[in-house]
Amino acid sequence: AQGEKQPDDYVYFNRSTADFSAEAVPKAKAAQLKLEHFYKLAVDAAVERNTRRVELERKLAADTTLSDERKQRQLQALGKKESTFLRLRRTKLGLDDFRTVKVIGKGAFGAVRLVQKLDTGKIYALKSLDKGEMLKRDQLAHVRAERDVLAESNSPWVVQLFYSFQDTSFLYLVMEFLPGGDLMTMLIKYDTFSEDVTRFYMAECVLAIEAVHKMGFIHRDIKPDNILIDKEGHIKLSDFGLSTGFHKQHDSAYYQRLLDSANGNQQTSAPSRNSVMVNPIHLTMTSKDQIATWKANRRKLAYSTVGTPDYIAPEIFLMQGYSNECDWWSLGAIMFECLVGYPPFCSENTHETYKKILDWQNHLMFPDDIHLSRDSEEMIRGLITGQNVRFTVDQIKNHSFFYGVEWDAIREIDAPFVPHLRSITDTSYFPTEDLENEPDQPTGGEGSGNKDLAFLGYTFKRFNIGDRAH
Amino acid sequence: AVYAPPAQPKLFLSSPFCDAALVKGSLKTLVALPKYIDVMEWVALNMFDFYNNVNTFYGAIAERCTSKNCPTMTAGDQLVYTWVDANHKHVKLPAATYIDFVFTWIQNLLEDQSIFPTKAGLPFPPGFPATCKHMYRQLLRVFAHIYQAHFEDMLNLRIEPHLNSLFAHYLSFGAEFDVLDKKELKGSPSSPTGIGYLYDKWKDMGRLD
Ligand SMILES: Nc1ncnc2c1ncn2[C@@H]1O[C@H](COP(=O)(O)OP(=O)(O)OP(=O)(O)O)[C@@H](O)[C@H]1O
Repeated sequence: AQGEKQPDDYVYFNRSTADFSAEAVPKAKAAQLKLEHFYKLAVDAAVERNTRRVELERKLAADTTLSDERKQRQLQALGKKESTFLRLRRTKLGLDDFRTVKVIGKGAFGAVRLVQKLDTGKIYALKSLDKGEMLKRDQLAHVRAERDVLAESNSPWVVQLFYSFQDTSFLYLVMEFLPGGDLMTMLIKYDTFSEDVTRFYMAECVLAIEAVHKMGFIHRDIKPDNILIDKEGHIKLSDFGLSTGFHKQHDSAYYQRLLDSANGNQQTSAPSRNSVMVNPIHLTMTSKDQIATWKANRRKLAYSTVGTPDYIAPEIFLMQGYSNECDWWSLGAIMFECLVGYPPFCSENTHETYKKILDWQNHLMFPDDIHLSRDSEEMIRGLITGQNVRFTVDQIKNHSFFYGVEWDAIREIDAPFVPHLRSITDTSYFPTEDLENEPDQPTGGEGSGNKDLAFLGYTFKRFNIGDRAH
Repeated sequence: AVYAPPAQPKLFLSSPFCDAALVKGSLKTLVALPKYIDVMEWVALNMFDFYNNVNTFYGAIAERCTSKNCPTMTAGDQLVYTWVDANHKHVKLPAATYIDFVFTWIQNLLEDQSIFPTKAGLPFPPGFPATCKHMYRQLLRVFAHIYQAHFEDMLNLRIEPHLNSLFAHYLSFGAEFDVLDKKELKGSPSSPTGIGYLYDKWKDMGRLD
């Protein structure tokens, strides 16, 4: 090197991996990443620990009513909690630490089970995700997103994550159990809600979505299956970024093809100058039949890896960039379903649904036989509309549909349906008869071999400073 | 071409490799016992993490640590560690076997609820500090062998900054909690360890503070 003088002990070494096997290089890379991850976490943990201590010390210093001895005891108590947390980090949680009470749900990558932690007796919902399937379908980023949202959040609107761990085949999320089931099950049961009931769920969803956005996340896959009901009947959002069948299954090329065919269609049906405009009649099922088919298949669709596109905003399919607004579209579709009984673009197959969503201007129709108030219709039309003119969160909250909603207190008021629970493991709000064939323990995972690195950073243990469930 | 006459100091003692590091800044902040926290839990977690990290690193070069390349557990030009077998006899083992014994032994300790308790309420045994000291010494030997015999492998795989930081962290931790035995670290004047020189060098550079 010119100019700069190298130290006397400077040596040159020609690096080469010629002497190594093919596995050595990725293994070394893995070691590197693992260590980087380790130090990043170690530093974060130290900073957080420090913050907790300094906060408590400051709070105690400002408190003139407590005796020094009591203050000392509070600091010792914090130390004890922190120590327990350190111990937890050495604890390898595994499936053996939980007993399955019942399978309560099913998703694209595995089942959701009601479980009991053996040493503490606490009840949780355990979601298992098949690693092999996820790798195959390129869903990693999404799982990371889910874990991250759940891990970071302390929001009452988001399902709490307590632990996550993994074995060679599965990733596991240990979450709080919400015994009230989900909004999909409720809609299947009640068909439609009154406007008052709809207003309640919509208002809670507005706050929940707003909370997620404030954390810097976009949900992108809000649908009734992901709106869970807690034991008081209030809602929480789950399932972040695991938008089933949304990425690989329907990759951009697929959307492009769809789009092309949609454009093509428009061209052939574009009226030539002399033609008389007629509404084409399609010899397909009547809309009543269509709705019946859709309803019959609703739960199956929720269990399938394809998932339901019914609530996804068009800009997401278009791959032209999207932002927070896409979640408000989904809310509009859910609101429509709550009042009308089926989502606005439901069709006998998902392909048709995509097409309708992309061409929503011509497909958003309010049925004649169902009366909607002007406010409701206006709200829905303000949500199911172009990205740029869609209602903002403030417009939504201030809209006359929500007149009378006390936004700051809604979680404290009585919910319209409060689950009647006989025990902490009551699963009567889950359609478990559909899941009887699901094994108690996850099986059949292919394993991910040395791709485990892809799942680095998945293991998580919540530090609970408060005395919340745990 | 390697420009390093054999008689020269080791690669790991020479620039730029000796200075390579993943973690910059004061290691003491990472090592020090956080206020109000139980020292046993802190040491236990650190030993647990060190073991896992060393294991990962050794795993990366294990294919080069064969009984042909490393017929003994070398740690310096003149220093070979022996394993004390069930009959209290000192035996020379291929480095890979020696290290395998160390890892197996530590793994068993870490999984033993009476030594490294993880269940709520279980206490640490009175002999816990002594056990940690013993573990620390054996892991130090693994480091010593990696530096002595596999540093070039680390260079070829470009993971020496990571190894250095892990080892510096290890040394800093050992000094802080009095599990680092200087005699063990440096070997004897007639058969010094390679890492003993590294320790001195880093200490002078302030890397261990
Ligand atoms: N914390 C929970 N408490 C109670 N029930 C839950 C909980 N999490 C999920 N469930 C039930 O399991 C069902 C499936 O869970 P979820 O939607 O999170 O997973 P998923 O369907 O795999 O996700 P995806 O949308 O990617 O397919 C939910 O609709 C709900 O009925």
